[in-house]
Amino acid sequence: MSEGVIIGGWNYVIAAYAITGAGLVGYVWSLIARLRKSHNREED
Amino acid sequence: MSQRMTRIHIFGLVGLLMLLVGSFMGLFLAPQERYMGDVQRIMYVHLPTAWNGMLCYTFAFGFAIASIWQHKPKWDALTVGAIEVGVLLNALLLIQGSIWARPTWGVWWDWDVRLTTSLIMLLLFAGVLALRSFVQDPERRAVWTAIATLVAFVDVPLVYFCVRWWRSLHQVQSTPETVSAGMVWPLRINSIALLLLVIWMVAQRARLELIRRRNEQVDEPAKMAPVGGLENV
Amino acid sequence: MRMISQAWAVVRKDLLLEWRGRSRIISVLLFGVVTLLLFSFAVGPDSVLLKAAAGGFLVLALLLSSTLGLSESFRVEQEQRAIEGLLLLPVDPVALYYGKCLSNTLFLMLLAPVLTPVALFFYNVNLDLTGFLTLFGLWTLAAAGLSAPGTLYAAMTSRLQSQDVLLPLLLFPLVIPVLMGSVKSVTLVLTGDPMSQIQSWTLLLASFAIIYWSLCGLLFPHAIEEGT
Repeated sequence: MSEGVIIGGWNYVIAAYAITGAGLVGYVWSLIARLRKSHNREED
Repeated sequence: MSQRMTRIHIFGLVGLLMLLVGSFMGLFLAPQERYMGDVQRIMYVHLPTAWNGMLCYTFAFGFAIASIWQHKPKWDALTVGAIEVGVLLNALLLIQGSIWARPTWGVWWDWDVRLTTSLIMLLLFAGVLALRSFVQDPERRAVWTAIATLVAFVDVPLVYFCVRWWRSLHQVQSTPETVSAGMVWPLRINSIALLLLVIWMVAQRARLELIRRRNEQVDEPAKMAPVGGLENV
Repeated sequence: MRMISQAWAVVRKDLLLEWRGRSRIISVLLFGVVTLLLFSFAVGPDSVLLKAAAGGFLVLALLLSSTLGLSESFRVEQEQRAIEGLLLLPVDPVALYYGKCLSNTLFLMLLAPVLTPVALFFYNVNLDLTGFLTLFGLWTLAAAGLSAPGTLYAAMTSRLQSQDVLLPLLLFPLVIPVLMGSVKSVTLVLTGDPMSQIQSWTLLLASFAIIYWSLCGLLFPHAIEEGT
């Protein structure tokens, strides 16, 4: 058990939020791109 | 159909907005935790990711049962949607957990029970997606995906217990989770936000799968499952 | 019961084929020995380290060898297109599954009596008769646990070109409870068990086997049906 205060560590917090955000955005982007591609194929 | 489409997009938008609000609250408004300081703020994304990831896999389990019960394309589409989003959240969970572990325990990886179980779950469900990519026939693909999902999901509690017993022989570092009133709200908001986003993403992925399946059938209209069609698989 | 006699017929056929093609099981055993050797080289000749890891190495060698055995178990059917033959005969798919599962378990059980003495020899571990029998019992449970999902996935992947990758990829994460349960209990047998932990691990192995023998038997007919 860690006693005492962890000072700072904002870098880690930002990294965690940023990677999560990037992951979600990236996946949504890929979904939309794949949907568009499939739609175009459907119309052919 | 387009009315239903617009309704589902609302899930996505509201989810996104709530996630921004909840994260803002968690980052800047919530009080500092006693022992972990600001590092604890990672929990406001980590816990919602964990809960929603597990929820996705549970949805997948339900959809897989439906898929075997009723061989309808929509169940397979929903299964793969739930698994893919689940795998995404699972991967994010491991990254978040590792980032959290470094300042807290001083190591990037600690064989923590939940993270280790999470890693094994990632391998299990990514494996289902891998299996899928090798099967051409859509009906067989649907049944096999469902089978692999059921087999994988049933393993999860077994894996959890075995990792726990494996760890219990060593010193267990527990997560000090002191949750004060100011922390509850960002947590709740982010959890619901992520759930709404998940619903949107799974729906879109399912839609993609249905379109793809229709395209497949258009491409090969004469393709019925031949008897003994082992070379076609 | 007809299903039991059908299952037994499958087992007898497989055992007969195994006996006729003895070179296969001998090759798998040799593979197991080579694996044990490679693990030793990876860790170095420090005998204390080797002794402590002996249980783990033995189980890993058995697991890797088992994948070879499992992937072969449906290859015979695949090559001769015999699986359609089996399906055309009034063989209940569930009986087929349990028959295959049993023959795979027996095959895996054959590996232990050979690889265990080799491991004990390399890693300089002494064991009395009770220990040997306990190990054999543990390995039987583990073999049963491995065979259940192994047979199901072997049947599915035997129809795909990439079976050699997919079968281990699907199976290895799945059988981690069996792996851990066997490693822990084998190590406890080899190095002593002051706190009687072996019961929990044995319980885990037994639970895994029971759960998966039931579940995979239910799912197997769906896995091999031809179209809808």
